[in-house]
Amino acid sequence: MHRIKAIIENTFKEGLRQRILLLLIVFTLLLIVMSVFLEPFALGESPKIMRDLGLAAASLFGVLTTIIVGSALIHKDIEKRTLYTVLAKPVRRSEIVLGKFLGLGALVCLLVLAMLLIHQLVIFLYEGSFDFHLLIAFPFTILEVGVMLGILLLFSSFSSTTLTSIMGVIFFVIGHALPDLKLFAETTKAPALKHIAYAFYYVLPNLDNFNFRMDLAYKAPLPTDQLIFSICYGIMYTVFLLYVTTLIFERREFK
Amino acid sequence: MLFRDLTNTICDLVLYKVIILGIFLEMENAIRLEDIRRSFKNHFWQKETEVLKGITLDIHPGEVFGFLGPNGAGKTTTIKIITGLIRPDSGRATIFGMAPSSLQARQRIGFLPESPYFYEHLTGFEFLKIHASLSNRINADQEINGLLERVGLDRARKVQLRSYSRGMLQRIGIAQALIGAPDLLILDEPLTGLDPIGRKEIKDLILEEKKKGTTIFFSSHILPDAEAVCDRVGIVIEGQIREVGKLSDLLKKGLPTDEISLEEWFVRHIQKPGIS
Repeated sequence: MHRIKAIIENTFKEGLRQRILLLLIVFTLLLIVMSVFLEPFALGESPKIMRDLGLAAASLFGVLTTIIVGSALIHKDIEKRTLYTVLAKPVRRSEIVLGKFLGLGALVCLLVLAMLLIHQLVIFLYEGSFDFHLLIAFPFTILEVGVMLGILLLFSSFSSTTLTSIMGVIFFVIGHALPDLKLFAETTKAPALKHIAYAFYYVLPNLDNFNFRMDLAYKAPLPTDQLIFSICYGIMYTVFLLYVTTLIFERREFK
Repeated sequence: MLFRDLTNTICDLVLYKVIILGIFLEMENAIRLEDIRRSFKNHFWQKETEVLKGITLDIHPGEVFGFLGPNGAGKTTTIKIITGLIRPDSGRATIFGMAPSSLQARQRIGFLPESPYFYEHLTGFEFLKIHASLSNRINADQEINGLLERVGLDRARKVQLRSYSRGMLQRIGIAQALIGAPDLLILDEPLTGLDPIGRKEIKDLILEEKKKGTTIFFSSHILPDAEAVCDRVGIVIEGQIREVGKLSDLLKKGLPTDEISLEEWFVRHIQKPGIS
């Protein structure tokens, strides 16, 4: 356990000391604060826009941090060979994968929570009261980050850092476009295309399962079965990705 | 009575077996490489290049072995196979009789990679602390402080590694390899890029470890470095072992003693493969 703890601590510290992180934080804070100034363009919808934009900014921040900082750390580990001394110690490769996942996950978790709390502060300053209901978005953002981190680790276990970053972005975009793919599958008349579209829809990670921002912003009731499904989906998908990553990483050579 | 005698005899036999097994394990080679072959290709459309062409080598416990050869001879590839970073295409590598990938084997080794890059954001102390935890050494602060002092970095213990000089990085790298007092130290080009004082300090460290009975396997392309510390050397050229033996014996055979002549010697042997 202490070996995993050491890797978690190292990943957390390393991620925290990345300079790019500061840029991402500033960018997100600007987005959150900017939501207040969109009021004149909102045609009476400003509180909802402020809520939706703030939640979207925190979620985007979480995913971008995962992709950018995650790729930077993996790049150092594999291409700059910082991992060599770790691999020579009596540590299992599965422990390295888990430690990296938990270390970066903890960092993103903490930062996303900080962003959501700042968002609450902005709401408080603007409206005079908090809207803690919005914090329901937090666990779902973390589940999305978990899946994205799993994808990054999976690709880094066998490909280059550049490809890992590109795949991270591609999966993020596709992951949010899957409902459109489902719609296409339902409406297309070509049977082959229908099967292919359905296959992609069910196999690729559906990140839209974690998106409850509109419901939260408009205070719409959240269907419990959908929430439970999303939690189970996120956990199972992440565990599956980590399992496959470990299997590949166990066999990876460091030439 | 008869039953008691029989029991005693069986106990004695078991004891002898345990002792014999213990002696056998103790005498186990620190490193054994048996006909190791390994090929690489940079891209899938390229032809494979055989980097190691049947390396066979035994490193005895307690000895300092210099693994010498020109750049590109296969030294680092061999070391990567010994440390389990890559696998041979054929042949067998063992550390104290165990597979390099086993946790038990890795518990007994300390490794310094070639031109090491470390986690720059960590201080010297933090870096060693993490490696101590990975080596199952909990509450190792005293050991870490001792190591920092030994490698002359006790004053830089709170400085981030990004501010360390090349020599300091090499020393902190050796300190992490020494965590847990390993039975076998594997050092890949530990003296490259160091100034004369830095070289001397590392050589002194190797000699100190030698006195403690640690087995040391280190690679270098500089003969005078090996001369000062090695019990035996092995010369590898183009993925094949050309010479193994005591340095004094090899020198009698005409092995040059200075860096430039050694390079020339290497070149001659590369041009005339098979000559030893």
